[in-house]
Amino acid sequence: MLTLHQAGLASIPALAPISGELHPGELLAIVGPNGAGKSTLLSMLSGYRRCEQGTVQLDGRLLDEWEITALASRRALVAQQEPVGFDWRVEELVCLGSNPDKALIAELLDDLNLVPLAKRSVLSLSGGERQRVMIARGACQLLSRRSKTARDGGLLLLDEPTSALDIGQQQRLMRQLRTWATQHHMAIVCVLHDLNLAATYADGVWLLHQGQRIAYGKPHHVLTPERIADVYGAEFQATTSHKASPPLLALAR
Amino acid sequence: MVSLTACRQRTMRPMGRTPRVLIGLTLALLLALAWGAASGALGLSPWALLSGNTDTLSTQVWWQLRLPRLLLGVAVGAMLAGSGAAMQGLFRNPLADPTLLGLASGAGLFVALWIVIFQDSAVNSLYGQFAAGFLGALSVCVIVFGLAKRQGGSAAVMTLLLAGLAINTLAGAGGGVLAFIASDEQLRQLSLWGMGTLTHALWRTTAIALVLISLALWMLMRSASELDLLQLGETTAHAAGLDAKRLKRRIVVATSLGVGLCVALTGVIGFLGLLVPHCLRLWLGPGHRLLLPASMLGGALLLVVADTLARTLGAPAEIPVGLLTSLLGGPYFLYLLMRRSPSC
Repeated sequence: MLTLHQAGLASIPALAPISGELHPGELLAIVGPNGAGKSTLLSMLSGYRRCEQGTVQLDGRLLDEWEITALASRRALVAQQEPVGFDWRVEELVCLGSNPDKALIAELLDDLNLVPLAKRSVLSLSGGERQRVMIARGACQLLSRRSKTARDGGLLLLDEPTSALDIGQQQRLMRQLRTWATQHHMAIVCVLHDLNLAATYADGVWLLHQGQRIAYGKPHHVLTPERIADVYGAEFQATTSHKASPPLLALAR
Repeated sequence: MVSLTACRQRTMRPMGRTPRVLIGLTLALLLALAWGAASGALGLSPWALLSGNTDTLSTQVWWQLRLPRLLLGVAVGAMLAGSGAAMQGLFRNPLADPTLLGLASGAGLFVALWIVIFQDSAVNSLYGQFAAGFLGALSVCVIVFGLAKRQGGSAAVMTLLLAGLAINTLAGAGGGVLAFIASDEQLRQLSLWGMGTLTHALWRTTAIALVLISLALWMLMRSASELDLLQLGETTAHAAGLDAKRLKRRIVVATSLGVGLCVALTGVIGFLGLLVPHCLRLWLGPGHRLLLPASMLGGALLLVVADTLARTLGAPAEIPVGLLTSLLGGPYFLYLLMRRSPSC
C-alpha cells in the first residue's frame, strides 16, 4: 500500500534516497540513533514534508496528488508529544479529526486501557496516559473514516509511541498494534528507540544512521549486536540471537 | 469528506447543551439590550416610544443616538470576544487576545497617524480610518506570527506576550509623539476617540460596522471545527486533514478586519477578548463550535451591560467604557497569571 521509490530529501535535515514497500497488516519499526532522521522520514511518509527526490505512493497514488481530507482517511499520524493547550476531555480528544460512533470510541478506549480516564481532562493526565490518548485518536481517525470499500485499514504512523510508557504499558501497546495490524489490516510504522521492542514486535526494521538507511529487513538480520554496537556506540554484555527468537540486547555496565 | 459536526455535537460536555447555552445567552443579551434601551440621561423606554407617548426630541434621540449605540455595542463586543476566542485557539494559548498581542494598539496607532496626517485634507473620511485600522492590525498580526513561528514550541508563548508588550509600548510612545505634534483640533479628536468609548455611534458608522463585522464573524464561525483540529498540533492536524495555512490566513484576515474596524470606531476597549472566551471555556469546554458563538454572544452582552453602566453610573457625565472593561479585565488577567504553572 505504501511504496517508496528512491524517496529522499535534499534540504536540511537531509535524507538519502530510500526504496521500499509496506503492506497491510505489517508493522515496520524505524530505529536509529538520535538525529538519524527517523522523525524526518516519518513526516515525509505522512506527506507533511514533501519528498524532494524520488516518489512516495500510497495506494498507487503519489502523496502530493492526494486531496488532504481524502488522505486523512487513509493515513493518520501520532507525532511526538505536543503540549495540549486546553482541557479537552479524553473522549472528546479521541474524536478530533473523525466521526466515530460510540462503539468505536469505547473499543479504542478499552484497547488502550483508557476507559477509567474517559471523562478526565487531558491536562490532568500523566505523560504516558496522554500518549495513549493520542494513539487512540490516531487509530480512531483511520477506523472511523475508513470507507466501506477499503480492503485494508490504512496507514498508521507513530513517532516514538512508547517514549513515556512504563514497561507493562509498552508491552500492551505493542501487542495492541499487532492486533490492529492483523484485525483491521492496518499498516503500521513506528519510530522506536527500544531495540528490544522493535526486535520482538516488528515484522521489518529500517535502521537509519546519519540520514541514511544503512540496513533493513527482518529484525534478526538488521539488529545484530555488532552493527548496533557500531552504529550506536554502545557496548553490550550478553545477547541472544537465535534464529528462532528475536535478538535481545542488554547493556554492559 | 467526513463531517466533524456530528462528532462534536455528540460528545459535547453535557449532552445536547449546545442550543440551550446559546439560547440562554441570546435571551440575556436581549434583556441587556432592553435595559440599555430604557436607561440613560433621557429615561425613556422603548415601550413609551412604541405607544407614542413621547415628544419628538426624545424620539429622535432614541432613534438617532441610543439605538445605533446599542447595536454598535453588540457588534464590537461580539467581534472582540469572538476574535479573542479564535486567536486563543490559533495560538493554542488562553492568554492570546487582540489587546495583549498588540493588535488593538497597532490598529490604534495607525488610526491616530491617519487622523493627524490627513485631518485637514479631503481624504480624512471614516473609510480611511477603517482602512488604517485594518492595516495596523494586520501588520501587528504578521509580526507576531513571524515571531511565534520562529520560536515555536513552548517558548512561543513568552515571546508572544513580550512581543505584545513591546508593540503596546511602541504604540503608546507613538501615540504620545502624535499627541505632542498634533494641533489642538487634532488632539481633541484623538483623545475623544482614544479612550475606548461607544459615544460616537451614528447610524452611518454602525451600519458599516454591522456589515463588516458580520462578515468577519462569519469567517471565524466557519473555522470552528478546523480550530478544534489545530489543537492537536500542526503536524498531527495536517495528517488529520487540516490545511493550517488556509486556516491561519482566514483567521488573521478576519480578526484584523474586525479588530481594526472596532478600534477605528471605538478606540481600544481592552480585555474583552481575553475575559469572555476564558470564562466561557471553563464552563463549556474548549470545543470551538460552541465556544465561538457563545463568546460572541457573551462579548456583546458584556459590552452592552458595561456601556449602559458607563452611561448611567456617573450621569450626566460618562465614563469611557474601555476604562470599565480594563478595570474588570486587568485584575482577572493577574489572577490568570498567578494560577498558571511556572512552565507556561
